[in-house]
Amino acid sequence: MSKQANKIRIALSKGRIFKETLPLLAAVGIEPDDDPETSRKLILGTNQPDVDLVVIRATDVPTYVGHGAADVGVAGKDVLLEHGSEGLYEPLDLRIAQCRMMVAGFPNASMEGQRLRIATKYINSARRHFAAQGKQVEIIKLYGSMELAPIVGLSDLIVDLVESGNTLKANGLEPIEHIMDISSRLIVNKAAWKMKHARIKALLEGVRAAVESKNNE
Amino acid sequence: MDYAHWLLPEGIDEFLPPRSLLLEQQRRRMLDLFDSWGYELIIPPMMEYLESLTSGVGQDLAPQMFKLMDQLSGRQLGIRTDITPQAARVDAHQLRKEQPTRLCYLGEVMRTLPNGLGGSRSQIQLGAELFGHSGIESDFEILSLMMAAIGCTGVQDIYLDLGHVGIYRTLIQDADLDGPLESRIFSAMQRKDLPWLQSQMDDGTLDACTGARLIALAQLNGEAAETLALAHEQLGDSQRVKSALAELQQTAEWVGQHFPDTPLYMDLAELRGYRYQTGLVFAAFIETEGHEIARGGRYDAIGETFGRARPATGFSADLLKLMALAHQSETASKPRVAAPWQFSARLHEKKASLRKQGYQVINMLPGQQADAQAMGCQHELIEQSGEWVLHELPPNA
Repeated sequence: MSKQANKIRIALSKGRIFKETLPLLAAVGIEPDDDPETSRKLILGTNQPDVDLVVIRATDVPTYVGHGAADVGVAGKDVLLEHGSEGLYEPLDLRIAQCRMMVAGFPNASMEGQRLRIATKYINSARRHFAAQGKQVEIIKLYGSMELAPIVGLSDLIVDLVESGNTLKANGLEPIEHIMDISSRLIVNKAAWKMKHARIKALLEGVRAAVESKNNE
Repeated sequence: MDYAHWLLPEGIDEFLPPRSLLLEQQRRRMLDLFDSWGYELIIPPMMEYLESLTSGVGQDLAPQMFKLMDQLSGRQLGIRTDITPQAARVDAHQLRKEQPTRLCYLGEVMRTLPNGLGGSRSQIQLGAELFGHSGIESDFEILSLMMAAIGCTGVQDIYLDLGHVGIYRTLIQDADLDGPLESRIFSAMQRKDLPWLQSQMDDGTLDACTGARLIALAQLNGEAAETLALAHEQLGDSQRVKSALAELQQTAEWVGQHFPDTPLYMDLAELRGYRYQTGLVFAAFIETEGHEIARGGRYDAIGETFGRARPATGFSADLLKLMALAHQSETASKPRVAAPWQFSARLHEKKASLRKQGYQVINMLPGQQADAQAMGCQHELIEQSGEWVLHELPPNA
């Protein structure tokens, strides 16, 4: 929980999640004072004196919220599955930053037989997916440009997030298996939920209404 | 690889001055508190046979247990992760009384995985268990003792969180859910993962009625009276849920009377992450900490695994964590006196009498480098006309 009793600190990641979360926050009357793309500030104030934003790496959001350094956060389901969701609640699907986690590879790639080598950033999700199928695979952890791995012979397949599929296509790859749909969740620190309950519940219900009205349009 | 071989393993702590003395003083105060409530101290061993530690109450932490092979018996031993199962074993097999039994403990526990931020793998666990009474009166006694124990460390401004695992269990039993699906529901409930519950309802894995009840449960939290009223409305058609709500209501009233300054919060979906809990559960929070600082509740089914079903309720907390939160940095240290190294019956007597009066008396060893002030002394013993008297030293510059 952020240290000030009456303040709410919201953790967001730069880029797509930030951009798509802004309209939802605006719907509950929260607007940042600065643009994180141009500002060098790590903590952004908002038009509401008791709310501030921290803009951090996507994979750090559950850590900040889980340990209470931020009260509320927005994190992709992919990140939550990968890094665990200890110490936090994930009560609301914001239906933003939507994509699919997929197994991808060359069009003729074999899914059977030998011990497949899988290049991915999502080692836990990939391991779970293949283990559920009873397949013994070797996971190769990469930090980016997964598409390159099969091309240069580093792996047989990749597990990655797919939005339009254009990057895969441009590199001669295609989606092979759907693992799960991914979107971003509103997450809340457990202790903050209890001690700042009225404030957080109001925020949650406001955002929920905004998500619903946006998706009913 | 080059490394310092004397470094401690990751997440393993030791206690050095002045923290070690603070810890010991706090430990004594805590045991005195437990003693004044009539809780008897048990000191169970650091390790036991694995089966004994991991049955019943211990199963949740079994994956986090350090294990080793006993060369004498050929059986596996575990280093305790939690003292509660040991207290349950002691009650069931060593004491075997029919009347209510009150036990307390304070000792080190170890876990293989670091716990939370900063990642300590050792804790000094303190706790108390009350066996042999099945009403909420004993739950409230344990809750009150938990509040007193937290207060005894100097931590203030506590928030209480109250829940009742019986409600979740009733919904699960009414719907005949078990196995992996129930485990996933249990985990979703811990995370208030409404989207997942909804998706299970949408694809027919959960029937509409059960799904709606579970989703309602996941949202039943907030101010006590309001939450209870909503719960009656949404889940009150079950007799067992009703009696759980009545227990919560009564406990909330008692909390209001006995701890009027403590904010009370109710969360009916809070299962405290533990499988063995059966009834009322509670936890204490403070504002600056993102996790609960003490927790407890009822676990009636446990005795069965030891062949003797006894109702039970208890609480535990990590003393190190409580001390860190209380920000006690000052030891009530005793005044320190430097005595010369000299054989004299009078000097010997004087030193003994000063020690008895609460002074620390240290000998200045022949040829030592530091003077009395450098040794942290505020006084020295000097001889004046055949008498040894205390002489105050000027403060160290």
